Amino acid sequence: MTDALLKMCDITKSFPGVLALDNVALEVASGEIHGLVGENGAGKSTIIKVLAGVYKADAGTVEIDGHVLPDVTPRSVHDAGVRFIHQELHLVQHFTVTESVFMGQEEQTLLGLSTRAMRQKAEAFFETALGTEMSGNTLIRDLGIAERKLVQIARALIDNQAKLVVFDEPTAPLTSGETDKLFTAIRKLKEQGIAMIYVSHYLAEITGICDRVTVLRNGQNAGRFDEVFDDSAPAMISAMVGREIDELFPKTEHTPAAPRFEVTDLSAEKFEDVSFTIHRNEIVGVAGLVGSGREDLIDTIYGLAKPRSGTMKIDGVAQKFRAPADAVGAGIALVPRDRRHDGLVLDMSVSDNINLAALDTVSRGTLENRRAANAVATDMSETLDIRPRNIAATLRLLSGGNQQKVVLGRWLNKGADIFILDEPTVGVDVGAKVEIYQHIENLAQDGVSVLVSSSDPGELIGLCDRILVMLRGKIVAEVSTTDLGVDELVALTTGGATQEAVS
Amino acid sequence: MNQTLSTKLLAVFPIAVFACLFAYLSIESSTFLSLGTFELILKQAVPTVIVSLGLAAVVIAGGDDVVAGGIDLSIPATAIICAAIIADQLTNQGNTLVFAMTLAFGAAAIIGAINAFLVVGLRMTPLLATLSMSVAVVGLTKVITSSRRIGVTDESIVFIRDGKIMGVAASVILTAVLVVIFYHALHRTRWGMNMQATGGSRDAAEISGILTRRFVVQSFLIAAFAGWIASVFVLARGSGSSPGTEENMLLEMVLATFLGAAFSPRRVVTLWGAVLGAVVVSALSVGFISIGVNVFWTGCIKGALILLVVASAAVATKGRS
Amino acid sequence: MKLKMKLVAALAGSVCFATASFADGHLSLDGKKVGVAVVGTQHFWDREAFNGAVSTVESLGGTVVPVDGGRDNQVHADNHDILLAQGVDAVISILGDGAVEPKFEALSGAGIPVFTVDHQSPFGTNNTTSDNYYMGTTIGRYMADAIGGEGKVAVFNAFEGALRICGIRAGLWKYVLQDYPGIEIIQPELAEEFANAPEDARIKTLDLLSQYPEGTLDAIHVGCWDQPAIGIVQALEEAGRTDVLVTALDGGPDTLEIMAEEGSPFVANVAQQPNLIGSTAAMNVARHFAGETLLPQTFVEVLPVLGQEGAKAAYEELGYGTLD
Ligand SMILES: Nc1ncnc2c1ncn2[C@@H]1O[C@H](COP(=O)(O)OP(=O)(O)OP(=O)(O)O)[C@@H](O)[C@H]1O
Ligand SMILES: [Mg+2]
Repeated sequence: MTDALLKMCDITKSFPGVLALDNVALEVASGEIHGLVGENGAGKSTIIKVLAGVYKADAGTVEIDGHVLPDVTPRSVHDAGVRFIHQELHLVQHFTVTESVFMGQEEQTLLGLSTRAMRQKAEAFFETALGTEMSGNTLIRDLGIAERKLVQIARALIDNQAKLVVFDEPTAPLTSGETDKLFTAIRKLKEQGIAMIYVSHYLAEITGICDRVTVLRNGQNAGRFDEVFDDSAPAMISAMVGREIDELFPKTEHTPAAPRFEVTDLSAEKFEDVSFTIHRNEIVGVAGLVGSGREDLIDTIYGLAKPRSGTMKIDGVAQKFRAPADAVGAGIALVPRDRRHDGLVLDMSVSDNINLAALDTVSRGTLENRRAANAVATDMSETLDIRPRNIAATLRLLSGGNQQKVVLGRWLNKGADIFILDEPTVGVDVGAKVEIYQHIENLAQDGVSVLVSSSDPGELIGLCDRILVMLRGKIVAEVSTTDLGVDELVALTTGGATQEAVS
Repeated sequence: MNQTLSTKLLAVFPIAVFACLFAYLSIESSTFLSLGTFELILKQAVPTVIVSLGLAAVVIAGGDDVVAGGIDLSIPATAIICAAIIADQLTNQGNTLVFAMTLAFGAAAIIGAINAFLVVGLRMTPLLATLSMSVAVVGLTKVITSSRRIGVTDESIVFIRDGKIMGVAASVILTAVLVVIFYHALHRTRWGMNMQATGGSRDAAEISGILTRRFVVQSFLIAAFAGWIASVFVLARGSGSSPGTEENMLLEMVLATFLGAAFSPRRVVTLWGAVLGAVVVSALSVGFISIGVNVFWTGCIKGALILLVVASAAVATKGRS
Repeated sequence: MKLKMKLVAALAGSVCFATASFADGHLSLDGKKVGVAVVGTQHFWDREAFNGAVSTVESLGGTVVPVDGGRDNQVHADNHDILLAQGVDAVISILGDGAVEPKFEALSGAGIPVFTVDHQSPFGTNNTTSDNYYMGTTIGRYMADAIGGEGKVAVFNAFEGALRICGIRAGLWKYVLQDYPGIEIIQPELAEEFANAPEDARIKTLDLLSQYPEGTLDAIHVGCWDQPAIGIVQALEEAGRTDVLVTALDGGPDTLEIMAEEGSPFVANVAQQPNLIGSTAAMNVARHFAGETLLPQTFVEVLPVLGQEGAKAAYEELGYGTLD
């Protein structure tokens, strides 16, 4: 790891009012996996876009294989062997795997497309380069997210010219099982001598697969780790946030009061006979792999999907939710899983976005209400550390993670007795996570009942009083989080252990 | 298990409906199931097939969202103005067929270029842009023809109407050749795949280095080209240019193209789908006549059938995503 | 339904009356398959002619294969191919432009006789039509009388050159006016649109009225039909003009109703009998199969309509009901 494949030196890039990158250096040796970490808005995506030729840097040089690129354009970078795996999948739903892999680089003879040759090549590539089996005739819309991610990777690498592959938060939409598939592929690529830049908020992934790590903070270099160990995460965190974070989770004991939300024998298409109770002052978690019925359970509880049988009661009164609006009407606040998609109005301000859900409390129009709305927004953006701290900023200009925080702020802002949080911290940096956890904790202290569904076992254990574990459509365990280890929880969700064995 | 079975059933439903219907027509009418009727069905489908080729190209490149995606409603208008120009040149001005067709080609090219400019350059909704274009072109056609019929007796045109190639109607053979060429270009070449990618996901295509705007422009030019070609067959069919043809053709073109999507396994607009759709629509017309359905009911029955099929396709796609 | 049957019977009866040389007893289309092709069924005239042909073929014991071109002349032409493939014994073809000629040629080439309605063709066995000559001259005389033999007249005349029947009707109207040197036809003539005719004519009339103020225009005539007259009458009412009279041709129930209104400016018309025309074409098919030789054209009588009372009487006589 001596010869540098990529050398980005003194890169500076400013947007109106924001210095997104300030003399940043990024160096990647050939054959290594290089981690790039930083808080939301630190400048990770920006430096990647400078490398991609999407943004033109104000100053600085990009050197690949010892040659300075005179002009950094998408084309010149591509020709130099750099490939990007964007966070968005960018695939055509009705295309086959083969068609997607060869999109824009189809092979043809005088007689037309070489369909069979392309399919064989694609299938061989999945087998040898990514270590997985894939039929070239499958339609994209019939694939899972992880497999689509692999198709995206295959498309970038099928020409065998790639020297450096850049992954921008590739695991954000994936569950832990799916993540493994991706990692298998990444390790396979590494064996073939391909270097990678890996951007992620999941430090466990970073310490797991990266050889070296560059940390950014507020658009500047905040440290580089030339050796990465399993226990490097705390050091990285302090480099990222500029202070020590000793307690990720506010550890408090709750004394559950009277039952508030009771679910009895609830069944739907993908789960059966689910029963549980959430009390006042209590945080209950739901764990489970994709396909375990966890997502469907949450959807059914808040009226997005229809139950087949069973009852739901709030304070002893039976409820029927035909649509999320009914659930909201019954005093439930929801933080939906798909909030980035459903919840954002990109061309409205931060303040307007935060206040969208609470239109009845701070109804539109009058000056006073405007002021009240802005006060709420300012408060939220402080709580969640939304950057820049400008509630009039257009949402489109915020970094991905900060956009997440804005939607989250909107839902947290709505007062309710019962909160259902679906993947509350996806795409959010460590610093903000702490704030979100604290906020949830405060809710519970105030007597609210909280249900958290999450694919992050650490988060569930740290945050919840009890965890419901789902496996193949059933609740297979209900465990207290006191003294529960992450490995034990993972064992339960994968069916590798039973409740008796754990307790 | 149950679910996959029902989705599978739903997937073959559109084909099954028409298969049953055609079986019924064959039993009811002694003449329906014959080679002659089949040739007649193909012959009558010809103009619709050709304009549908053009529409399919535009939808393939622009995406199949009816409002925001690609659509070109001006293809039939292009066909009838080209037919009017050719008829006028041949019959009223006494010019040669080659000259007349060149002039019509110029008109079609201008229409295609303006459509492309409105949609790609000015970012107008294709639906709106091409609908206005269609109205304008139909108006212009009235000026050229004074809303009158212009008969044509040119030999080549008459050959396309009555001629036979290897015992099969010339118009059918020529159209088949055209369909194969279009199919090859749109589905069997790199260029065609890139056009499909453009319509499938604009972002995905751009990221893959495809110049999407160029493909959208090209699709409108192809559509105009299809209109121009169709004009010759329109002239042959009517032995000249008759007023009032564009409306029916517009309806059949849109129907055929989107009905074709219901037949395609991927539920997207394809070339084969459009051709099949046009033939099915034509077969329905012939079939209903052959069993003597009351003319006041045919429109209603046809519409209901098509609605049924298209709705079932929509349900099938919804169930999948 | 019953009323309709009666009507058919009455009309069938009147055909036989009109062509008294045949007794209807021996006419039959038993076992014959007759194609009836119509260019469209939106307009009263077309629909009635079609209905007349269909019901008469059926009442003579034949089977009908009906086809409708949906007002598209090309589809109408194509429909004849389907009839040919169906192996019909005869075809009744109602209206349509030159696009049908090659189809007629193919049909007669295959030994299938073609009976046209309002469309003269060299390949047709017989064409049934109104007495257009009488229509043209009669409306000319009526109009001249109505304006006292002199004055200025505007005419909607888009189809004189395009359709032979219109050439006859408008040409003979002009022929009559030659004998009235005091009548001046305003130039250029107006051209109505076929689609949406009433609205189009209304707008064109309002323009015309603003050019020709009170006292400078005496009548507006529609040369070949009367759908535009609906719009003309409306425009006159809107402009408050009572000095202009309207004349036109066709006399369907809608225009007869307008003529029958108190003080209507629409004073003269010549009513056709579309149902009878269709029915006569069907009878001609039967006569042909009975071995009789048909003349190239069969003319069906028309009914001159003069003034409010005349409109009421014609309405009843043509079986459209009663007006009061
Ligand atoms: N097009 C733009 N116009 C104005 N400001 C921008 C633009 N793009 C990014 N920024 C700002 O630049 C800063 C860096 O953003 P960037 O997207 O690089 O963050 P990031 O490290 O990728 O964060 P995250 O983890 O949330 O994705 C942020 O303050 C952001 O608001
Ligand atoms: Mg980012």
